[in-house]
Amino acid sequence: MSGDSPVTDSAADAEPPAGSQPAPEERPHPEGRRNLEGIRIDPVVEAEHESRRAVISALVEDEPGVLARVSGLVSRRQFNIESLTVGPTTVEGHSRITMVVEETDPGIDQIEKQMAKLKPVISVGEVSGDAVTAELVLLKVEADDPAAVHAVTEMYDGRTLDAGPRTITVQLTGDEERIDDALDAFKQFGIIEIARTGQTALARGDTPTAPGEKPGTAGEPTRHDD
Amino acid sequence: MDSDAVLALTGQVPTEFVGNDAFQETDTIGVTRPITKHNYFAGAADTVGDTVGEAFELSRSGRPGPTLVDLPKDVTQDDTAAAPGPASPPPGSDPDPNADPDAVEEAARAVEEAERPLCLFGGGVIKAEASEAARTFARTYGIPVTTTMPGIGSFPEDDDLCLSWAGMHGTGYANMAITHTDCLIAVGTRFDDRLTGGIDTFAPEAEVIHIDIDPAEISKNVHADYPLIGDAGRVLDQLTAAVREAPDAEAWREQCAEWKETYPLTYATPEDEPLKPQFVVEAFDEATDDDTIVTTGVGQHQMWASQFWTYTEPRTWVSSHGLGTMGYGVPAAVGARVAADAMGEPDRDVVCFDGDGSFLMTMQELSVAVRENLDLTIAVLNNEYIGMVRQWQDAFYEGRHMASEYSWMPEFDKLAEAFGALGLRVDDYDEVAPAIEEALGYDGPAVIDFHVDPAENVLPMVPSGGANGKFATAEDQL
Repeated sequence: MSGDSPVTDSAADAEPPAGSQPAPEERPHPEGRRNLEGIRIDPVVEAEHESRRAVISALVEDEPGVLARVSGLVSRRQFNIESLTVGPTTVEGHSRITMVVEETDPGIDQIEKQMAKLKPVISVGEVSGDAVTAELVLLKVEADDPAAVHAVTEMYDGRTLDAGPRTITVQLTGDEERIDDALDAFKQFGIIEIARTGQTALARGDTPTAPGEKPGTAGEPTRHDD
Repeated sequence: MDSDAVLALTGQVPTEFVGNDAFQETDTIGVTRPITKHNYFAGAADTVGDTVGEAFELSRSGRPGPTLVDLPKDVTQDDTAAAPGPASPPPGSDPDPNADPDAVEEAARAVEEAERPLCLFGGGVIKAEASEAARTFARTYGIPVTTTMPGIGSFPEDDDLCLSWAGMHGTGYANMAITHTDCLIAVGTRFDDRLTGGIDTFAPEAEVIHIDIDPAEISKNVHADYPLIGDAGRVLDQLTAAVREAPDAEAWREQCAEWKETYPLTYATPEDEPLKPQFVVEAFDEATDDDTIVTTGVGQHQMWASQFWTYTEPRTWVSSHGLGTMGYGVPAAVGARVAADAMGEPDRDVVCFDGDGSFLMTMQELSVAVRENLDLTIAVLNNEYIGMVRQWQDAFYEGRHMASEYSWMPEFDKLAEAFGALGLRVDDYDEVAPAIEEALGYDGPAVIDFHVDPAENVLPMVPSGGANGKFATAEDQL
């Protein structure tokens, strides 16, 4: 409603009276931050943020409702989430939640900060770009040409879990690109049903997947605020 | 949103019935999950003491907020030999109160170099008991101060440096200062849209130093050039120590003083118009001491109570901000009275400004005030409208009044008497002072039904999403 409500400029036009302070062009301008009118040009503020995919990993206490807390947070703050997986770690009482989101950089920052505020969240952070990611897919296709299905399954290092007279069910794993390629290849047979787990991820090498986590011990309870 | 530490203890059906849609069962944990800092389901009598202790401490740690423990009936009825251990917040919930010293140094340089520095003290200053630190910082370096609405009282409004509170119905001079400052030192504020108006036009020339205990508030709404994460009081002390010389801001202070002259908060009292609500607020302020606790509902009366009362001390302004919950005033006054008495301050006055709409929502709490003989005064600024809604309908919906007009309003003075409280009615200016004197002098709850001008609007006003520097000072400007 603000857009079309006419506001008079009586107050707005009340520029600071001349002489009481330097004119805008006379004010010192921190380099690269202001234009001649004294208005700030801040690349950080002005930037148009584009959405990107990010994998966020959180180490959480495995208590009732923890998944509801995380998913409720994501939905009520309108974050774009593509997938969410959860599973136990080697430390009893700890689970890992892996989320793939499509968000701007400030959005990703907010997801991490808001998640860190949840009490059961021990540690949370974005997994760096070169992380190892994988997804598991179960795929049921028409069995009209079993040999061809088998050949494609082999090509993508899949496994045949069930072969019947009318359908064949295969299991595929891999990163997103590989899975997408495989699905394209299977389309020729007619995909009947599909179930995907969503991406899960671990950081490479010695880098902890969630901040503060100690690789090798699968997450001694190091707190995000420490 | 108002970051108040509250612990709610809620009753639940016995554990064996939970999830079966039992009589009076509500999924309290599910319902309150998004509105609590954390909630707990008490599983057993042996551990419930520790759970309640942790919930209590968590509500107060870091950025305060509500916590809840849901207590199934079998747990509350059970016996236990277990004694709760010392209460402590859950690990990780008690953040470091000090900001990164290097970041403080950088922010200090920005303060020194500023020509038009401005403090913006939010509710976090009061929550953190940081009013002294805030006053020291602003006065040491001669930096003018605005507050947010929840920050009212963090800095004395009768101080020359104070520009009162900014935002939609804030003072013109506070909004002008925000629009022209080149260095905004914002403390304990989450930059609500009622404060900022349009983000593009909020403090457009300023570098922003943002002090907050909650990292998630940094750069959430307004980009922070100098984020300082920590306790408001501690970080202000750090900053006060780190600044080496006061910014050269004499011209700026003069400018701010000039704006105060140019855009004063005013209202007219023509003889042919009904009693003005602003006059009632000023009369109460005059009749009471500085330590008087003011509570309010939500709406026009709330704005007048914040504009026309001069607040000088923290925790004297008790209101509902972020959620704007009508009906807040009377229960808050009951709580404030009980708290003041418990602190050994029975002589402090508690005054609730309420609207007729807000009062109708929670006036039944008068029965508590009467039963407990709580000494408080309720001033109903009765304009027989849901006034703020009526004002918006006039300004932005061509005067189409929908669900904002009452064709019949109860007589609140008589209702008060029916509850066992003192009930008074005021229609004219000359009755105001005597009625206030009688109500304040009455030992127990008193209600004054002030019949005020139904046509009065809250001004100045920055329209929703508008620029703070473009506030309307008259109705025809909206």
